[in-house]
Amino acid sequence: MVETKKNEFRKRDLFYLVPLWLLSLIAPDPYLYHKKEFKKKDLFYLGAIGLAPLIWSDPHFHHLMVLAGIYAILSLGLSLFMGYAGQISLGHAAFFGIGAYTTAILTTRYGVPIFLAFWASAASAAAIASFIGRPILKLKGYFLALATLGFGEIFLVVLRESTDLTGGVIGIFGIPWFSVMGFIFDTYLKQYYLTWGVLVGLFVFSKNLVRSKVGRALLAVAASEDAASSVGINVPRIKLEIFILSAAYAGLAGSLFACVMSIANPEAFSLGLTVLIVMMVILGGMGNLYGPIAGAILLTWLTDILSRYQEYSLPAYGMILILLLIFFPDGIGTRLNVRVIYLIGYWAKKKKRDEGKL
Amino acid sequence: MSTWTYIPQLLSSGITIGAIYALVALGFVTIARASQIINFAQGEFVMLGGVITFFFLKVMNLPYPLAAFIAILIVILIGFVMHLSVVYPLRKASIVILLMATLGASIFLSSTSGLLFGTLPKTLPPFSGERPLQLLGVSVLPQSVWVLISTLILLIFLYLLSHRTLLGKAMEASSTDPLGADLLGISRNLMVFLAFGVSAGVGAFAGILITPVFFTSYSSGTLLGLKGFIAAVLGGWGKNSGAILGGFVLGIVESLSLAFIPAGYKDAIAFGILLLILHFRPKGILGSPFMDSRRW
Amino acid sequence: MALLSIENIRKEYDGIIALDRISLKVEKGSITGLIGPNGAGKSTLFHLISGVEKPDSGKIYFKGRDITSMEPHERSTLGMGRTFQTIQVWGNMTVVENIMAGMNQKLKGGMLSYGLWLPRIRRSEKGALQEAKEILDSLGLLGKWESMASQLPYGKQKLLEIGRALAMKPDLLLLDEPASGLTLNEIRHLSEKIIHIRQEGVTVFIVEHHMGMVMELADEIAVLHNGELIAEGTPEAVRRNPEVIEAYLTRRSRDPHSTLSPMEKVSQYEIKKK
Repeated sequence: MVETKKNEFRKRDLFYLVPLWLLSLIAPDPYLYHKKEFKKKDLFYLGAIGLAPLIWSDPHFHHLMVLAGIYAILSLGLSLFMGYAGQISLGHAAFFGIGAYTTAILTTRYGVPIFLAFWASAASAAAIASFIGRPILKLKGYFLALATLGFGEIFLVVLRESTDLTGGVIGIFGIPWFSVMGFIFDTYLKQYYLTWGVLVGLFVFSKNLVRSKVGRALLAVAASEDAASSVGINVPRIKLEIFILSAAYAGLAGSLFACVMSIANPEAFSLGLTVLIVMMVILGGMGNLYGPIAGAILLTWLTDILSRYQEYSLPAYGMILILLLIFFPDGIGTRLNVRVIYLIGYWAKKKKRDEGKL
Repeated sequence: MSTWTYIPQLLSSGITIGAIYALVALGFVTIARASQIINFAQGEFVMLGGVITFFFLKVMNLPYPLAAFIAILIVILIGFVMHLSVVYPLRKASIVILLMATLGASIFLSSTSGLLFGTLPKTLPPFSGERPLQLLGVSVLPQSVWVLISTLILLIFLYLLSHRTLLGKAMEASSTDPLGADLLGISRNLMVFLAFGVSAGVGAFAGILITPVFFTSYSSGTLLGLKGFIAAVLGGWGKNSGAILGGFVLGIVESLSLAFIPAGYKDAIAFGILLLILHFRPKGILGSPFMDSRRW
Repeated sequence: MALLSIENIRKEYDGIIALDRISLKVEKGSITGLIGPNGAGKSTLFHLISGVEKPDSGKIYFKGRDITSMEPHERSTLGMGRTFQTIQVWGNMTVVENIMAGMNQKLKGGMLSYGLWLPRIRRSEKGALQEAKEILDSLGLLGKWESMASQLPYGKQKLLEIGRALAMKPDLLLLDEPASGLTLNEIRHLSEKIIHIRQEGVTVFIVEHHMGMVMELADEIAVLHNGELIAEGTPEAVRRNPEVIEAYLTRRSRDPHSTLSPMEKVSQYEIKKK
């Protein structure tokens, strides 16, 4: 009887239940992420994305959400590589930087229309990824992490030193706003719809990938490479392909970043950014596409709040990262949803118990 | 011609920095041998060693040896606290999580140090004299000699610790055969805990040695840590001898490269070497006992 | 022409000869068994066939093609399915996705067409789902098609692994110790399943410790001992072969969980069956 006493549903759990239930409406179901079809909830998210800046028409909020959207694109790509294919990359800040600098150089030096530079950024990031991916992706675990980190550091050094091309430490200024067919995205609100529009497009693309053959191949590689090759999946090739794809996402994000900030300098693409985006993927929950977006919003918001505390922001940031990792190693959504499911389960049982059926 | 005259000079500074890389690499290997964890905050121990010594020497006006001793003790304590608060709660987590947690600790330690001790680069007085010695026509800073001698003493000490004491053997056992060690009553967690202390101490020691030669600022630890890790991989991941060899090789190559390429690219050299070694010989110069395990 | 033929294979590990002068043929439509005491080289041979390792010398032909230096995934696309000694079901996917992943190579189209979810992709995915459900139905796993594969019990995971290999529509199915860890009941069920697979035209090659099962199923049996092939033939002939009896009696099984020699296991199994 001790056991039932311990598992008894208490009234105060109701207080958790209500906000958690609300959260579970907004937050994705990572626990059911294998149900990969599009659902009504996706429409709800889409509506929320469309309406949020209109309801909350504060420019600072818009700017923050633009940044969050850009980071979300970045972490969406990284989540395909880390969360689905089970690899590690600490070099995606470099692909982000490659995208930003491609846009910056093409638009300011050669007067290429920004719309073309946008796609060229993805192409250049993908090209470099395919070049370095072949040797690097043979590695696993820590060594893969270290190798990608090394790539990122080399990229930074090259950025700082090749002053003629990249403007060195100062970077490149005066990158034009994003514009399509004469329509210029010059306010935060317009940029919001631009970045989130790109994000939604890429999200649908990624979701289609993960609910099809490609996603199954990725998950298979993550779980067991031997078994994957036993059904004819070319493991090195699929790893390379997804690495290139996620680099292309990072390139697109970088291009948007350059347009929005109208400046590209090496500081923005350092190890700190890598830590930030990997954290977004982890907090969102591995192997789940909604998570990275939620993680991006959460961490962008967090860094913004922390930046108000000036010199205390970095120590606090480091501490918060550690705490988040300790308490939510599977991602925040997963933990919350498990809690909700757990509570609902007990509530259901409680009803049955009262009716004397259990 | 002018380039070649620098070479002996570069070689001597390469050996000096190589000794430091070796010590940092040794810190990585000590932890990895006990637990197969990579502590990306290793470089921060080095930075803290230098900065805290500076604090006690210049601000509190303590005598040099005492300041150094206190600094090492404090950093060892930080190593223990880091194990208890970051690594121990995550001991069963995947490597990505552990990696990010130690990176988080690294951010925390470096920025806190900047907050407490100021962000200006610091330097300590050399252990003895500043006048360069003339050895075989090369002017060598006395501190470089100190660095080499102290590194050597520390290495001997560590060697004795790991091969001649029961504690060292227990550490070895818990890394090579965790289950077997568990059955023998060796607590794996305790071993990892101690390994963190040892590696923090070694790191702090390296920091005190290096600060008189190169400036130490709150942010210099991260890069030093990464290079130490590269040195450990270069020499043969998981081997003490590999860490030492890798440290010196990396230091010398990096220093000599200054004769041929612009100074700004210096940091790229280490990572270039890393990519090459990982591609052509991932088990390093001396071979690695860990390479079979899937984690690496 | 044999479906799979191994010619004069030799494999060494650090100077220790694991396999020497092995030649073996697997006829199309047969069930061939490979048995031998622990450490005889069964797993090595299996790895060489599936491509995880490469032989030092000798050739392997599959469907008349030389596959000696092919990678595992290339062999799989040629029509060679396999299971693993320790289960390698993808626990991060649902049961039905495990089967569908087995069909991956039959589904055409690049990443772009999947990302854009073109109509033909939609159709092929739908078809694959239908087909996967049929395979699950034949394995008796349809009831759990939506649960995560890691939540299945051990025996069902073994079945799922076979189903995944069958989803590739292989010509040759390699089974690595399919009976290990199963209860007698499950083994019987598995045997029926294997016979059924053969009836559908798939050649089966079993490497097995559990002699009883192989004796009952196989048309041809090869016996490996100390890296050499000591007997080949029908189960009856192998059972009476003095060298085989010698090998099994003198060298007790090194299986730590069992003090019985495999021959004793066979007799026990047969007793229990009666």
